[in-house]
Amino acid sequence: MELTINNAPVYVATGGKDFNPKLPTVLFLHGSGGDHRTWALQTRWFAYHGYSVLAPDLPGHSLSGGEAFTSIEQSGPWLSDFMEAVGVKSAHVVGHSQGFLSALELARTAPEKLMSITAIGTAAAIPVNQALIDTAKANSDKAAQMMCNWGFGPDAHLGNSSVPGMQPIAISRAIMSRNPLAADLQACADYKGGADVVASLSVPAHCILASADKMTPVKAGMALAESLGVTPTIIKGYGHMLPLEAPKQTLTALRAFIEMVQTKRAAA
Amino acid sequence: MTKSSYFKPATIALHTGYTPESDHGARAVPIYQTTSYAFDSVEGASSLFNVEQGGHIYSRISNPTVAVLEQRLAALEGGTGAICTASGMSALFATFITLCSAGDHIVSSEQIYGSTATTLRYTLKRFGITTDFVDINDPKALKAAIKPNTKLVFCESISNPGMQVSNLPEISKIANEAGVPVVVDATFATPALNRPIEHGANIVVHSITKWIGGHGAAIGGCIVDGGNFNWGNGKFPEMTEPYAPFHGMKFWEEFGPTAFVMKIRSEAMRDLGAALSPHNAFLILQGVETLNLRMQKHVSNTATLRDWLAQQDGVTWVRHPEDDAKPFVAEMFPDGAGSMLCFGVAGGREGGAAFIKTVSLASHLANVGDSRTLVLHPGSTTHSRLTKTDMEAAGINEDLIRVSVGLEDIKDIQADFAKGLKAAIRAAG
Ligand SMILES: Cc1ncc(COP(=O)(O)O)c(C=O)c1O
Repeated sequence: MELTINNAPVYVATGGKDFNPKLPTVLFLHGSGGDHRTWALQTRWFAYHGYSVLAPDLPGHSLSGGEAFTSIEQSGPWLSDFMEAVGVKSAHVVGHSQGFLSALELARTAPEKLMSITAIGTAAAIPVNQALIDTAKANSDKAAQMMCNWGFGPDAHLGNSSVPGMQPIAISRAIMSRNPLAADLQACADYKGGADVVASLSVPAHCILASADKMTPVKAGMALAESLGVTPTIIKGYGHMLPLEAPKQTLTALRAFIEMVQTKRAAA
Repeated sequence: MTKSSYFKPATIALHTGYTPESDHGARAVPIYQTTSYAFDSVEGASSLFNVEQGGHIYSRISNPTVAVLEQRLAALEGGTGAICTASGMSALFATFITLCSAGDHIVSSEQIYGSTATTLRYTLKRFGITTDFVDINDPKALKAAIKPNTKLVFCESISNPGMQVSNLPEISKIANEAGVPVVVDATFATPALNRPIEHGANIVVHSITKWIGGHGAAIGGCIVDGGNFNWGNGKFPEMTEPYAPFHGMKFWEEFGPTAFVMKIRSEAMRDLGAALSPHNAFLILQGVETLNLRMQKHVSNTATLRDWLAQQDGVTWVRHPEDDAKPFVAEMFPDGAGSMLCFGVAGGREGGAAFIKTVSLASHLANVGDSRTLVLHPGSTTHSRLTKTDMEAAGINEDLIRVSVGLEDIKDIQADFAKGLKAAIRAAG
């Protein structure tokens, strides 16, 4: 699906089904340098099982036009406008890495637009190594290589793939190296407001963390889970790129949480 | 470090795509000799068909043993994904028909494998896909040959049989600037010696029958997606428009850097049915595991034999891709430009025939890339009905002996060739 926001084209993946705003909606937000393909193996399940799915390429990324955000704070009003443009009052918001920081900013801008929030491979703040940011400014391919080296866990480096014949690391690297990685990483590094938003959240929340995450170490994720008062799902042996590295386990944990929230809402 | 792992190529060749399987801990890659895969539930079955998750349904489309080989070859080439096929020819055919429809056009190097040339010149032409053949290293000729309906530029990184090295950086630049992907048959190079994607190519095809399998035991092919071509440039509706037979999928939107291989998986693997058998995948995997080591030995034996031949009586000339002094040859092939060489023998056509009759360690057959040394004399086999003039027009001399240098002790290869050369000198009178 394509729409226009702030005069720029926005591409939104809808999980292989036409978008229907009447169904409960799950909004997926990708991380630094990523795009909707981060969620290829989660979105289709939701779309085929009674949900509507929105997985936008954020401005300046892959199939969307416009300029990348220069601060995480910019994503709050943008996401709020985006939901209004597609006719969705509220959604289960799922964010990977930087995508979770964007979800927090949506919660700050328009708290009524969240039915729940899920943090995947992330924390309330994502400090980024200055050397990585500098590399990204000079050479996005090299920075993508560094990100993939660190971001993916041992299983992906052994070339295992849940889709036969594919190489998830090379795929991510190809996507990241053509996206505004430097702007994304700088925005993450500068973002300090996460903890306050986390403290103010009143919607159901969940954390899905990776034991071998070197980008947002599991310790930081655990601290986030503690401030949210939730018991995180920790997926063992995988790295930061959970939705791509461990798609099935990520989906299982996400499904369980969102279905639980839906059941509670139906009962209320 | 490659594009898909922090591991180095020799490690990738041994480990990528398989970690010991949990039930039995098998260390070698198991052969999944099965046509199909039991669904764990009705829900599981529909999720596979809806592409909600990855997995195997039917071995014409994908198979776990074949997938290990695919993932390993994708990683070795620095690609985003790969598909293995029943032969090198089916890999090429699948690639051509995925990118071209009736009315489309291909620009090909004129120096390519005979059967590929026949596919382009005759078979595809019957379906309305035409090909113009050019001197691929002539930038002006290449530029002039690309038309609005050109869907791919094709060449071999080292050509068969001419052994010309294609200037991949230059070719890729010209083709990509025109919005056209470059497809490279890298059979004679293998990823141990040259990785075309690193030089700007977009799709790599192999006959894995040859050096990659490396033991003359199994026929197979492979297609690697470089993940580096913009299929959304307006020239490839097959990649951007909904594909009705497969969920109305728009491959470029859905898969991006694997759009091309996913399209092959969804269409050509279904329609051509040219799946690689799991057993052949296993045999070829044994070759992949030692590819780096074997290629080093192939290359060093070739260098020694080449120098030795140049000094022998009865040898009129010797040719190897590294004879070409253009800088791109050394840049593309820092570790040697393969293990094929040609030489001329005294006595012309008769001398060549006498050489072939006399050698006994070297096998006389129509293949290349075996672990054993192979020789062929086109003048008394593939081209025996042609006159001297016609042969020369095809770029092949009557006295030409083609050698695929094997892994035997070089001293034994030399002793065998010495006998053959003596016979050629005798035939020359
Ligand atoms: C360069 C090249 N490409 C493709 C092929 C065809 O491969 P196969 O025999 O595996 O179909 C060959 C076979 O000799 C070849 O030499």
